[in-house]
Amino acid sequence: MPDLEPGQTHLHAGRSVLRPDLIEKVTGAAQYCVDIRRSGMLHAKIVRSRRAHARIASIDTSAARAMSGVVAVIVASDLAGLFARFGHIVPDHEILASGKVRYYGEPVAIVVADTEAAASDALDYVDVDYEDLPAVMSAEEALAPGAPLVHEEQHRRVDVDSLSPVETGADQGELRTSNVAHEATLEWGDVDSVWPVAAAVVENRMHYPMLYAYAMEPYNAVASFDEGRLEVDSTAQHPFMVRDDLARIFSLPLAAVTVRAPYLGGGYGSKSYTKVEPLAAVASWRTGRPVKLVLDVEESIYTTRADSAEVHVRSAFDDQGHILAREIDIVMDSGAYADNSPLVVAKSVNRSFGPYRVPNLRVRGRSVYTNTSPASSYRGFGAPQGVLAGETNLEQAADRLGIDSAELRRRNLVRPGEEILHGKRGIDADLPADLEMVVGALREHAPEDQSWFASAMACSASDAGAFPVSTATVRVQADGSVIVLSGSTEMGQGSRSALAQIAAEELRVELRVVTVRQSDTGATAYERTTGASRTTTLTGLALQRACQDALSKLRSMAAEVKGCSADEIAPSPAGFALPGGDTISYGEVVRSWFGAAAGEVTGIGLLRREGATAKMPPFWEIGMIGVGCRIDPATGAIAVEQLVTVGDVGFAINPQAVEAQDLGAATQGLGCALFEELLYDGPQLMNPNIVDYRVPRMRDLPGRIDAMLAERRDGVGPYGAKGSGEGALNPIAAAVATAVARVVGRWPDRVPLTPERVWRLINETGPDDTTGDRSSPREG
Amino acid sequence: MLPPFALERPDRLEDALALIGDDCLPYCGGTELLMAMKLNVLRPSCLVDLKGIAALARVEWRGDSLVIGGAVRHASLAADAEISRSLAVLTVVEQRVGNARVRTQGSIGGNLCFAEPRSDVATLLAALGASITLASSTGQRRIAITDFVLGAYETVREPTELLVEVLVPSARLKSGVYLKHQYAERPTVGVALVREGENGVWRLAVGAVGDVPIVIEVSSLDEIDAEAVADMTDPIEDISGGVDYKQHLVAVYVRRAVQAAAEDLGA
Repeated sequence: MPDLEPGQTHLHAGRSVLRPDLIEKVTGAAQYCVDIRRSGMLHAKIVRSRRAHARIASIDTSAARAMSGVVAVIVASDLAGLFARFGHIVPDHEILASGKVRYYGEPVAIVVADTEAAASDALDYVDVDYEDLPAVMSAEEALAPGAPLVHEEQHRRVDVDSLSPVETGADQGELRTSNVAHEATLEWGDVDSVWPVAAAVVENRMHYPMLYAYAMEPYNAVASFDEGRLEVDSTAQHPFMVRDDLARIFSLPLAAVTVRAPYLGGGYGSKSYTKVEPLAAVASWRTGRPVKLVLDVEESIYTTRADSAEVHVRSAFDDQGHILAREIDIVMDSGAYADNSPLVVAKSVNRSFGPYRVPNLRVRGRSVYTNTSPASSYRGFGAPQGVLAGETNLEQAADRLGIDSAELRRRNLVRPGEEILHGKRGIDADLPADLEMVVGALREHAPEDQSWFASAMACSASDAGAFPVSTATVRVQADGSVIVLSGSTEMGQGSRSALAQIAAEELRVELRVVTVRQSDTGATAYERTTGASRTTTLTGLALQRACQDALSKLRSMAAEVKGCSADEIAPSPAGFALPGGDTISYGEVVRSWFGAAAGEVTGIGLLRREGATAKMPPFWEIGMIGVGCRIDPATGAIAVEQLVTVGDVGFAINPQAVEAQDLGAATQGLGCALFEELLYDGPQLMNPNIVDYRVPRMRDLPGRIDAMLAERRDGVGPYGAKGSGEGALNPIAAAVATAVARVVGRWPDRVPLTPERVWRLINETGPDDTTGDRSSPREG
Repeated sequence: MLPPFALERPDRLEDALALIGDDCLPYCGGTELLMAMKLNVLRPSCLVDLKGIAALARVEWRGDSLVIGGAVRHASLAADAEISRSLAVLTVVEQRVGNARVRTQGSIGGNLCFAEPRSDVATLLAALGASITLASSTGQRRIAITDFVLGAYETVREPTELLVEVLVPSARLKSGVYLKHQYAERPTVGVALVREGENGVWRLAVGAVGDVPIVIEVSSLDEIDAEAVADMTDPIEDISGGVDYKQHLVAVYVRRAVQAAAEDLGA
């Protein structure tokens, strides 16, 4: 066990320990979902719509069913008797399209065969007869008067805040009148009274692109339905929520459905909520055998993407640069099904106006159905869309007011404890101090050659953590070793080591005796989600409580076997100090109490909205970013020469992992700022593959990276920790867009800032119209 | 997913040539072929693995000329000390072809036969005046690289023919530069500028931007008019750029290549 050095307050927390999953991942020994095989397993492939919007006149499966190796071909009508839809907010998402298809790539039929090859070959023999319907391929088209409706029926919406479950059974909805899937608003003060009296009113519009959260492991699942029980292994960030959806589909008790998520090969929000699990599950239900379904990258891209957004910001300032009012309109293209987009747009509303004092505010966000692939969660969760427009608006205001933009932020940033959202938790961070860290690093390392170079910064604050429902279990074994059970999924973010560190810290044991088991709804503790940067904070709190529960039981048991009072027993490493100077290890307590070399003691930790986590959000996640960009004026190519991140995490339980999360988030954000964009050409995507959809690579990493941590122990989590992993992504596109504007002298109206777009920005003629619609020629 | 196929692994060239045909495709690195098979664009019943044929894996010098076997991988060319000494521009190109996996697996012959318009290697070889040898069980023929590639993904190779070698004539006398604008997985524009001998002619090749590289021969760098070269190109409009942007890039990179050649090669 490490010794405490001067200044250290913890044995394990706060140290950059080796992650227990590191070696097996690097050597390839780690088992991912895609590696799982079951005996008697069949393989499924999906027949997908080749139309954006069309009525299904008929489906002829006879030729496919006659093919060698094919066991079944399943269409929507085969799902009679099931609740054949999912969607945790709006249960609008059909497992298989019935009646009509709503986007190119939508599942229409499942071919199940003995081999993957046989299933694949039969796909082209499923004959689907379509009658085309007029399609809406953008939010603008979808909102136009008289636009064709993507959904005719209004499904009953779940109250997200109350978390009431989707009601089962018939829900004959009302008829819809528009393509707006969800609208969220936020308003205080009186913005309209401010515009006429303001010293400056600054308006801008930014387009945020459709993105794919490229994960190395595409969506896949193995399902086994047998005798009224369903077992599913899948690439699910939230296995418990997937279980709830599956139980509803088959009308099964929650306890009869098991969902397991082994290591995930990347999630970034794209694997939150239900994706391919219902397809595999109904295939197993129909065939009576285990069924494996593995999507390729193109299918994965058509399964979930990030909401693109058109954001319009209008801000009013006094002559000293104080914000008087902000009005923001957010329109998100959420694709054919709502999935998590209603919540994404609601969060985008909260996160769009920045961590500033805004006395008068009006924000409206709309999530709009279109005939494109369905959008849902993406790292940052609505923040990147809003922050891009909000922060570039502030920078333009700085220009207009003649105030340095860092100074403008200093004058407006909320101070520690101050509310951003009225009635919600005040900010648990020192943003002005974080800002100085970025300003200092950018100044200190500014390059000598300033030609075609500019640095810029941006910041954001996200109401993070989601709804605080977490549980954890610890099982202290007869040899004193410890098993931690958690429903939070390890997807590369390092929760397995962070949770082990917390357990070792609380129980005062060596890290190597702690084993963390995660994400099996039938065996591990409940966790609502693995998202919103919550695991370290919320699962960590539940785990601390579980450890205290186990310690309390062990102490009582030690008192019983030693014939003393529990009050006389004091903590000691891996056990207790007894009256009289002896010590007893946890293992000895367990063995003595059970009277055999056997037994275990279980501690339970439960977390809900009360006490420290009563106030929402559980914590604020900060994004504070600086970039230094150089542009090649001849080609428009941007080189990000400097990156500054401040991880305002309260307390870093594993500092190296936190810095890596910040760098990963910032790099993913640079992907959106510089390269990434899904582009539609007619009904289908032009670039649904990772050759044409450009993600960041090692060569793209900034030349100089200053990854800093701000540890002020101001979080609600263990040892003052707060969440991390998304913050650094949220403001980075705004920072890059600002740097480009500083170099070029014109404001871009969209990202990614590809070389061609920057070149066109440089070579545009005419006035700098920051509000005009200046799309480049080939955007569809 | 990869559909099922038979795999033949001959170790003699004659055996390979006897097998190759419409339904039985030559296979080396598989970096393009396997992708096409996964997409069901190609569905051969049989692949002929060329990696065991020693005759295709050789790099040799015939006097001043360089002869590269069709199955030699990019990584081997990038690491070849003699090439680095005598024809450094090829080393530079091979070190930056595709990505690490493509360089480790992919062969020069496969690269050329797939005729991907954005091939760095094809553009450089065009500037180097290279030719290739196609062999079949009934004979062989040598063709200039510029005549070999007909268009995007299209060559004069017959299904029964195999690209057995690439020949760079007078390679030891040549020197050059290669510059590319690469933003996505493949270059948007690649420009090669090569001189033969101290006072020899210059050959400029512009690739990636159109279906096939264009090649211009001049006796001095002053004769190269970057704007005129850009006008000669017929760019493919795609997500890496519109026609006007790509033609602009051609002019930029031709100017940069001329400048680099003047500096590096003392012209």
